[in-house]
Amino acid sequence: MVLRSNSLHAYRTEALVLLAPAFAIYTVFAIWPMIEVVILSFQRWNGLSADRAWAGLQNYRHIFTADPVYWMAFRNTVLWTIMSVIFPPVVGLLLALGLNQKLFGRGSLRAIYYLPVIIAPIAVATMWRWMYDPFFGLFNQVLTNLGLQAWIADWLGDRSIALYSMFVAYTWQHVGFSMVLFLAGLQGVEYSLVEAARIDGANRWQVFRHVTLPALQVTITIVIVLSTISSLKAFDIIYGMTGGGPAQSTQMLALWAFTQSMQIFDFGRGSAISVTLLAITLAIVVPYLRWTQKREAASE
Amino acid sequence: MNTGQFVLGAAASLALLSGTAGAEDLTVWTLNYSSNAQVNALKASEAEFEATHPGVNLEIVMRGTDEHKTALRVAAGSDTGPDIYFMWAGLGLGGEYVKAGLSRDLTEYYEKYGWDDRVSVPSLAFVESFGAGKHGMPYRFTGEAIYYNKTLFEQAGITAEPTTYDELVAAAEKLKEAGIAPITFGGTVNWHVMRLMDVLLETKCGPDTHDVLMEMRADWSTTPCATEAFTELDMWARNYILSPFMGIDQKQSASLFFLGRAAMMLEGDWHVNPINENADIANFGLFPFPTGADRLYGFAEYLYISSKTDKADLAAEYLDMFTTTAFQDQIKGAFGALSVNKEVKLGDDALDLHKEWITIFDAADGTFVNGDQAFPLDVTTEYFRIINEVASGNMDPQAAADAMQQFIGNRA
Repeated sequence: MVLRSNSLHAYRTEALVLLAPAFAIYTVFAIWPMIEVVILSFQRWNGLSADRAWAGLQNYRHIFTADPVYWMAFRNTVLWTIMSVIFPPVVGLLLALGLNQKLFGRGSLRAIYYLPVIIAPIAVATMWRWMYDPFFGLFNQVLTNLGLQAWIADWLGDRSIALYSMFVAYTWQHVGFSMVLFLAGLQGVEYSLVEAARIDGANRWQVFRHVTLPALQVTITIVIVLSTISSLKAFDIIYGMTGGGPAQSTQMLALWAFTQSMQIFDFGRGSAISVTLLAITLAIVVPYLRWTQKREAASE
Repeated sequence: MNTGQFVLGAAASLALLSGTAGAEDLTVWTLNYSSNAQVNALKASEAEFEATHPGVNLEIVMRGTDEHKTALRVAAGSDTGPDIYFMWAGLGLGGEYVKAGLSRDLTEYYEKYGWDDRVSVPSLAFVESFGAGKHGMPYRFTGEAIYYNKTLFEQAGITAEPTTYDELVAAAEKLKEAGIAPITFGGTVNWHVMRLMDVLLETKCGPDTHDVLMEMRADWSTTPCATEAFTELDMWARNYILSPFMGIDQKQSASLFFLGRAAMMLEGDWHVNPINENADIANFGLFPFPTGADRLYGFAEYLYISSKTDKADLAAEYLDMFTTTAFQDQIKGAFGALSVNKEVKLGDDALDLHKEWITIFDAADGTFVNGDQAFPLDVTTEYFRIINEVASGNMDPQAAADAMQQFIGNRA
């Protein structure tokens, strides 16, 4: 018994020693900045002055009641998140299902579809901005050549379509990420179960619905959680493509927080926006994770 | 390796190390410029200063506009940063740094080097505006006016440069009827379309009312000329700006201008070099936006010495060298038509457009600055948004004036 206790103690010490450097780094570069942002959200600071005046809830009151952009950014962020948890995962799943078959050049195709994921978002933004150029861009040139001049649009300058134009670029970049996760998940689907279902007369849809999809439950949870987090903090591609314009119509909470802090230099309001974004993220992700954990526990 | 080689090598290494340790670094943070002439002028200043200051390593760091502003803010909160930094001299930009104590008072250097006598009076306008003492050294003073494509004007039957606002609108209408886009702007960079709004405010309000509006001392929603200016902006956006324009930036807009896709562009005197580098400059003319007042639309850019530097004397020597008659004469025309050094005149071989600019500068009676230099940053951001809403046809002029006033009111 004493021996077991000593060995447990040794394991714990070893674990603590191994975790300590990572924890220290995480504390300095992640936890402390988060705490700092929360504190800043109750202060007024322009980034230049040494003094940070206490502002109480003024920053929150301003962004909720007097900021002409906050609610537009909020709406766009919600819309973007909903689209992000639907389209890239669905397209990624379809690609994964296709590329899980024994196709010629399957490896190359997987690499090609994954390639955009490794490109820096700002480079993706630049590339797509040029393709969307209303005068010389690829899309309008193709439409012109096809005689579809009526379809020509100011893809990033028309507020009614700018957000969706950016989302196409975002989907193009992120679909490969979902695809890879689903491909990994598909490797865990028992082939014997698929065979058994087929022998029992199940068609392709029924096999997918009742065998493949349940086996992908964990992967789906991971993809949705990661897609949600990634979409809520969408920044680079919007910064690079429209900068939140035209007239702040494609503004998002993450970019608006940056704009307030690093362009308007009102760090208090920028931090308050960041805190609301953090709260929204937690409000979505935590209940979803708890719900899926309960479902998994119930199914075991 | 024998002993002799070893000793020689060690001595050489020691000498190299001691040389490095003895070198004094001076850092200047400024913008990256699109014109080769401007980049070359900065490189020339680096070479010149290092040649006259042995042992000094001058490093000029160039960044994009937003990156430069952000880098300065980050540096402001730390002990690192430049010895000298570039900033526009208005309230919302350079003025804020002065107010925050991040600019060194240069009074002693103004006296020591006689800068007050050297530098042109308009460019000194902001030196004493925002803090005790003198802050910043004028780096360049610019004006903005309408460049036009002579061929396109001829095609539209326009025989003379517009001298009144009504004539300008009539010229735009003629161009439109001839199937030529009258003017081009890039909407993604908010400050480009803002220029049109700025000159329309000057046109519709006149200098006095325009100034009190920009100082936020007049009510935008109840000052009729503010709404009239937004109405004119709406009219230009609907009828005369090369469309679509909200999805392109200033550089794309300039490319379209160089290619003859639009007849006019509202740009600064720095635009002469890009025209010269990208098009047949003989085909381009220039006239001030006919606001009906004689004030020149333009602004000043300063080089400030950081209050955090321990090399203020050396930094002042660089500013002194940069603005000397000899050096300004060497780089004249690179940053615009007008040197901040009043002794420096353009030569006979100067570009015609630069010579025209001198005429415009000479004829001006005072100046008014760009909106993003007149307003604090948060108001500028809202000003951009409202201008873009009006230019996109999503906000009517009175609602725009109301929105401006509401934002300004909420600040109080």
